[in-house]
Amino acid sequence: MSTTDTAERLAAGNSFSVDVWVTLKRWLKKAVRNASIVFEALLSPFIFLILFTQVFGKLAGGPIQDLFGADINYITFLTPAIIIVTAMTVAIQSGTGLIQDMDSGMFEKILVSPTHRGAIFLGKALADVLRIAFQSAIVLVLGYLLLWIGSGGSVGPYIQTGLGGVLGIFAVVIVYSLWFTAFSIIIALVTQDIESASIWMYMTHYPLLFSSSAFLPISFLPEWMQVLATVNPVTYGVDALRALMLGQDVLSVINVTAFSGIWNTIVPAIVLLGVLDIVLGGIAAVLLHRVSSSQVD
Amino acid sequence: MVTESTETPTTCTTAITASNVELTYADGTHAVRGIDLEIPRGECFGFLGPNGAGKTSAIKTFVTLLEPTGGSVTVNGYDVVTDSRAVRSSIGYMAQETSIDTELTARENIQFACEMYGVPRSKRAERIDDLLALVDLVDVADKQPSDFSGGMKKRLDIATALVHEPQLVFLDEPTTGLDPRARNRLWEYFRAINRQGTTLFLTTQYLAEADELCDRLSVIQDGKLVATDSPDALKSQVGGDILELTIEGSTADHRAHAQRVARESGVFADCTIETTDEGIAIASEHARREGTDLLVALRDAGLTVTGFDVRSPTLDDVFLAITGTRDVPVNSQTQSGNIDERSSGNSRAQPEALAQDEVDR
Repeated sequence: MSTTDTAERLAAGNSFSVDVWVTLKRWLKKAVRNASIVFEALLSPFIFLILFTQVFGKLAGGPIQDLFGADINYITFLTPAIIIVTAMTVAIQSGTGLIQDMDSGMFEKILVSPTHRGAIFLGKALADVLRIAFQSAIVLVLGYLLLWIGSGGSVGPYIQTGLGGVLGIFAVVIVYSLWFTAFSIIIALVTQDIESASIWMYMTHYPLLFSSSAFLPISFLPEWMQVLATVNPVTYGVDALRALMLGQDVLSVINVTAFSGIWNTIVPAIVLLGVLDIVLGGIAAVLLHRVSSSQVD
Repeated sequence: MVTESTETPTTCTTAITASNVELTYADGTHAVRGIDLEIPRGECFGFLGPNGAGKTSAIKTFVTLLEPTGGSVTVNGYDVVTDSRAVRSSIGYMAQETSIDTELTARENIQFACEMYGVPRSKRAERIDDLLALVDLVDVADKQPSDFSGGMKKRLDIATALVHEPQLVFLDEPTTGLDPRARNRLWEYFRAINRQGTTLFLTTQYLAEADELCDRLSVIQDGKLVATDSPDALKSQVGGDILELTIEGSTADHRAHAQRVARESGVFADCTIETTDEGIAIASEHARREGTDLLVALRDAGLTVTGFDVRSPTLDDVFLAITGTRDVPVNSQTQSGNIDERSSGNSRAQPEALAQDEVDR
């Protein structure tokens, strides 16, 4: 047997796109396999939706109907916020997954293989995007189910903008997730430690959620929080989703009238989130390049 | 930067050529200070040295994980800097700390490695089965490795490094932290791989391991190669086995007396006889055969021997013979050359346990 011939036949390496696919497949397989991730994916949005609608539903229901119309239920109002919560949870796991890979040596194992460097990160990012889209779909279905149960089977209009709106929701969620995923990667690479990264992430995650339009209309928040909400990316993500759900211009922290209807919410939100994506994504890319580079200085 | 090489490495008969390789970390630590090396195809070659000697830093420059800051390295005919992707395709590498994905099953770990290295789909299933059989993990192939023993995890790790039938395999301290049985088993696999024509390059802290596996080895200290030779040739510099005696009520006088008796007993006249804290130590080719005669001679001289141990030369002894100093910094942190980038030393294996095993062997 000629070892050399066999070796050359077997060690061809892959094209960039195959490398992306191989990486993507591994992360999805891990996500499905990991019990706590599956649990988070299915149960935490469910718990969030039930808790919030039961606790705040009666309280907030009236004012929300005053603000957005008589057929708008608190569940419909809240569903976009839960989608954002879920997307942020996946983003947090993106960073911790990277640290786990570094700790377990898998990161180095992949670096020493012929896998293209860019494909390592693009594959992981795509896996995260798919998970976020999948979980957003689950939340949408859950919200519908809750409405169905609550209304005894007559839900009425749920996503006012129809099928286009559903696709829009996925697009907005992905644009929204990029900046927080990049942030999660930055924190992961700076701390290089799962515990401190988690603390940092959750310390950012919750204040951001509560000082935004996520759970209650902005006008319910104390004034200083309304100021915070104006510069809070969560507000823009939630409002863009909510505009698609309710079919209304819901952005109240800044007043844009240059477009028409829901676009007065969606355009400024996408622009702001897009800028944030580019800035944080750029920083994350530089840091990722540094850890995967073989140069010592 | 990374370009596919059109020239095939078949014409190349050297697995590794290193000339004046240097690696200086950003903090100024000189981990590797000018290594020259030529390793022919098919050889099993080892770097023997204590923690912090620069073994891991050197191996990382060979496997393209770190670019040398000076000199050049060619692996399988490809330059590690300008042709790194070709180098990566042609080598297997097992890191010092076991690197497997515990969320995937054993089979999936090997499958992922197959996909990563581009093993053709048609050959994958057979290759995975062959490797599972090679490392004796067929029975647990579809289990997640979280509950595997350290030895089983290492075996899975080595299997993933072999998926593409590399011509050259790097093993960084492959058995550190394993029990003697698991270690012997791994050695068998390494020998089998080497017999099939694969070049092996390994680093180790243990002379027994280098002795067992390597055709040649380099003793590495402070980032430099201080000696390169076959294990037997290196050990012969120690002068044979080590006989250690504990003398009752050991004072300096007793020890000097014992040293005199040993020297006058004839057979140990030309050997290195050192005094130790508790008695004396003699390095001699005849240590095993003539040791008992020395006991009798010591008793006749009125000295009581309370401890008696004959052992094979250790890394310490080789170091003593080659470098003239016993100050092998096995556990010292004085040199930060051996920086581990993945972890801050959480699951670091302690070398004492294995050093003890060497004595037992």
